[in-house]
Amino acid sequence: MREYFKNIYEAVATILIGMGVTLRHLFVPSVTLQYPKEKIELPPRSRMQLYVNIDDCIGCRQCERACPVDCIEIDTIKADKDEDLGLTSNGKKKPFHVTRFDIDMSKCCFCNLCTFPCPTECIYMTPDFEYAQEDRSNLNFHFSNYTPEQVAELQKREAEKKAALAAAKANAGKKPTAN
Amino acid sequence: MTQWNNNFPDSRFELEVPDPLKTDEYVLNMGPQHPSTHGVLRVVLKTDGEIVESATPYIGYLHRTFEKHAEHMTWPQVVPYVDRMDYLASMNNALGYALAVEKLAGIEVNERAQYLRVIVAELNRIASHLVFFGTFGLDLGAFTPFLYGFREREMILDLFEEISGGRLLYNYIWIGGVAWDAPDGWLEKVIKFCDYFEPKIKEYNDLLTFNKIFIDRTAGIGVIPEDLAINYGLSGPTLRGSGVNFDLRKNDPYGIYDRFNFNVCVGDGTRGVVGDSWNRYWVRILEMVESTKIVRQAVEQIPDGDAKETVPKNVRVPAGEIYFRTETPRGELGYYIVSDGGKNPVRVKVRAPAFSNLSVLPAVAPGTMVADLVAILGSLDIVLGEIDR
Repeated sequence: MREYFKNIYEAVATILIGMGVTLRHLFVPSVTLQYPKEKIELPPRSRMQLYVNIDDCIGCRQCERACPVDCIEIDTIKADKDEDLGLTSNGKKKPFHVTRFDIDMSKCCFCNLCTFPCPTECIYMTPDFEYAQEDRSNLNFHFSNYTPEQVAELQKREAEKKAALAAAKANAGKKPTAN
Repeated sequence: MTQWNNNFPDSRFELEVPDPLKTDEYVLNMGPQHPSTHGVLRVVLKTDGEIVESATPYIGYLHRTFEKHAEHMTWPQVVPYVDRMDYLASMNNALGYALAVEKLAGIEVNERAQYLRVIVAELNRIASHLVFFGTFGLDLGAFTPFLYGFREREMILDLFEEISGGRLLYNYIWIGGVAWDAPDGWLEKVIKFCDYFEPKIKEYNDLLTFNKIFIDRTAGIGVIPEDLAINYGLSGPTLRGSGVNFDLRKNDPYGIYDRFNFNVCVGDGTRGVVGDSWNRYWVRILEMVESTKIVRQAVEQIPDGDAKETVPKNVRVPAGEIYFRTETPRGELGYYIVSDGGKNPVRVKVRAPAFSNLSVLPAVAPGTMVADLVAILGSLDIVLGEIDR
């Protein structure tokens, strides 16, 4: 009998202690944030979206190799000897036409491994997180600023160059037999 | 056999009922989609009324072939995958992997990086135990502790976001060091968090730990005796809740853990009996206090320097094999790594603590109520991401 009432007393007493804790919380400022109306500024290291400053890209493909999930796809075409593609902001020569620089953010695992090997620091994560899309294909971001016509032209030129090189090689290969 | 006709007009409804009426055990699938299984765990229960006769866990619903993936990744590329195993304590997982590879490759790590690693690992331990505190209360019907636990966890996640950029999956601890040095004022913020956090423990105790209803639901429930715990290979707070004083940070110190002064918390039977759900819970609450102690000491002792100094550009691991174990919030996390000197690991086998901890469930479940099984499962603090990998 005594045990019975002791149990009831303890249950009520400890619940009241807990209620006291919650009651005290009525008088402290709220910690929640009404998100769409209020926003906090995320720290600069936040990894929310990959961004490529394509003007600085030299087409070295180190980010592509570093990616564990292969979400970066790069196509490059070598510049001609007399062609000058300009310099990057930290003074590196750009030896490649970067005809394709696609990042599939739906595949990205946000590990940040691609940003560290970049020699010109042109690929980086930004704290911008509001890029939800209705279609998954919209998450495939294209960073290259070459138009399809330009790409086709460059590819044609590259194919011609390769053909010429192959012909020269074939000729060079013939010579010893001719002699 | 008796024919039983209950006056249906159609004779097709005549039923044959065995005589006498026999009772049978009831097979119940708990999960895989069940809020108290903490992920996608399926437990097949054979019940006799409300009493569980046997419980068999079926796993594999979250299998993501981590170990096979790791064989195709370069050494640093494995770290993001390691983060995704125990997603509540990513830092501790990455720490174990990094330490294992460093020991195999003979890489010395910068002092400052080592201290930063300890700080983030211990903060992550607190965050993981806070999730346990919240969800354990939630399993037993107490909703408020969940909100309070997540409030403090959010502060730790904010600290992590500032230092690593990620909130849950950090890729912060690298082979040979850490990804970034701490930003300006970060260490002061850590101390500020410790100052804020320590009084909160009392609040948790008032709210949940010493609540009579909570004690009645957990004390004496799911008692795992010392010998059973050792036989099943339990580790971490689950083992210490059974009164075994074993903590890898003390018994087999890795990294720089031998420089810190802290106690190993063991279930002491303050309420209930040693080895029950309440004592496993109590060990975790005490461990949060010890973790703040370690964090404070680490911030005090941290030297100046470049944390990225010793991160190798190309990780070269000589041929060989290693088994390395660390203490995560869930217990002993072991990595067995084989290298043939190439770019990729040949084998990365993980000894997941939650996997071994779950294995004790069929041994303790018989004879308990279904509702108590939820308490036992919650007190084991399993993370399915780690069990299935």
